[in-house]
Amino acid sequence: METRLALLARKGDQRAFAEIVELYKDKIFHLAYRMLNNRHEAEDVVQDTFLRVYKNLDRYDENQKFSTWIYRIGTNLCIDRLRKRKPTYSLDAEMNDQEGVDGYSILPSDDRTPESELLLSETQQLIRQAIESLPAKYKTVMVLRYLQDLSLQEISDVLDMPVTTIKTRVHRGREYLRKKLERKL
Amino acid sequence: MDCKHAHSLMHDYLDNELAPDQILLLKEHFAICPTCKEHYDQLERTELMLFGTKTQHLEPISGFVTANIMASLPKKAKQRVWLQWVKNHPAITVAAMFFMVMFISALSFWNQDRDLMVKGPDLDKLIIEGDKVIVPKGLSVAGDLTVQNGQAEVYGEVNGNLTVIDGSMNLASTAHISGQVTKIDEAMSWLWYRITHLFSEVSYR
Repeated sequence: METRLALLARKGDQRAFAEIVELYKDKIFHLAYRMLNNRHEAEDVVQDTFLRVYKNLDRYDENQKFSTWIYRIGTNLCIDRLRKRKPTYSLDAEMNDQEGVDGYSILPSDDRTPESELLLSETQQLIRQAIESLPAKYKTVMVLRYLQDLSLQEISDVLDMPVTTIKTRVHRGREYLRKKLERKL
Repeated sequence: MDCKHAHSLMHDYLDNELAPDQILLLKEHFAICPTCKEHYDQLERTELMLFGTKTQHLEPISGFVTANIMASLPKKAKQRVWLQWVKNHPAITVAAMFFMVMFISALSFWNQDRDLMVKGPDLDKLIIEGDKVIVPKGLSVAGDLTVQNGQAEVYGEVNGNLTVIDGSMNLASTAHISGQVTKIDEAMSWLWYRITHLFSEVSYR
C-alpha cells in the first residue's frame, strides 16, 4: 500500500504524501528519539527525513519495500548527527583531573520535562541510559531490532550490510546491554 | 559442547535461528553448566526489557503534525512536470530550441537592417538619390530587381520581378515590368520571402 502511495505522490499527489507522513512520522520520530536521545534533534530528523523522501521520490525503486527505504533515510540522518556530535575523546576514557568521572556523566542531558521523567520507571530509565551509551553502530541495530521490531533481514536491507554483520552486532549489543543492566536482572 | 560454542548458540536461539537438534544440545549443556544457564537467562531478560521499552509511554511529537511537515515541503510540482517532458523528449526540445534561435535571429536581422539595399543587374545605370532608387525612362533592366529599405520609382522597363521590401514603390505610366511585382513589409511575409527565395536559389544551382 505504501508503495502505491509513493507512486501517487511521485506524480504530484499531495494527499498521498500526507498519508505517508501520517503513517511514518511517529515511527521515524521514535527511531530518532532512541538514537539521539534528544527530542529537539529527533523532530529535526523527522522533518529532514520527509523532505529527503519528497525530493527523492523519483529515485524510489518500487521493487523495494517502502518502509525499508524510509528507514534507511531516517537511520542515515541519525547516524550523520551522531557522527557530528561525537567528541574527539573516548567516552570510556576517565578524565585526568576527576577520579571516577567518565564521559557518560558529562553527556548533554535530555530535555525531558520532570512530569515525563516521573512516568518512566527506574528500570526503563536504566535501559534508556544503557542504549544511549552504546557505540553508534550497535545502537543502530539494537534500536531497529528491539524498538522498531525489524527482523534481521530487514535491518540488513535498511543498513545495506550483510545479515551476518547485523547478527554479530545484535549479539555483541546484547552482551553489552546485559553487562550494563546486570544489577537489574 | 564447550561454553564458547554454547554462547554463540544461545544468541542464535534468541534470534530464532537455531535448528531443533541444536536447541536440544544447548539445553543439555545448560543442564550441566549453571554459569551458561545464568548467562542465557540474563540475555533473555535483557531482551524482554528491551522489547518492553517499545510499548513504553512516549510523548507524541509536540506541535508537530502532518500539516507542518507538508507545509515545509518545497513547491515545485509544476516545474517538475515541465522538466520531465523535456527529459523525455530531447530531440523535440533541441529542434524547438533551434527554430526559436533561428526565428529570433531572423527577426532581429529584419529589424536591424535599415540600410538601403539594391540587388539586380545594371546597377550602375540606376539613379540612387538618398533612399530613392530610380529606373530612368528608356532604361531596360535585364533581370530581377530587389529594393530593400527604400522607395522604388520605375519609369523604364524591368524584364523580371520587382520586389520592394520595407519600402514603397511608385510605378510611372511608362513603366513596364514583365514579371511579378511584390511588396513586402511584414516580418512574416519577409520571412516567407527569404525561405522561398532560398529554395528557388538552391534549385536554380
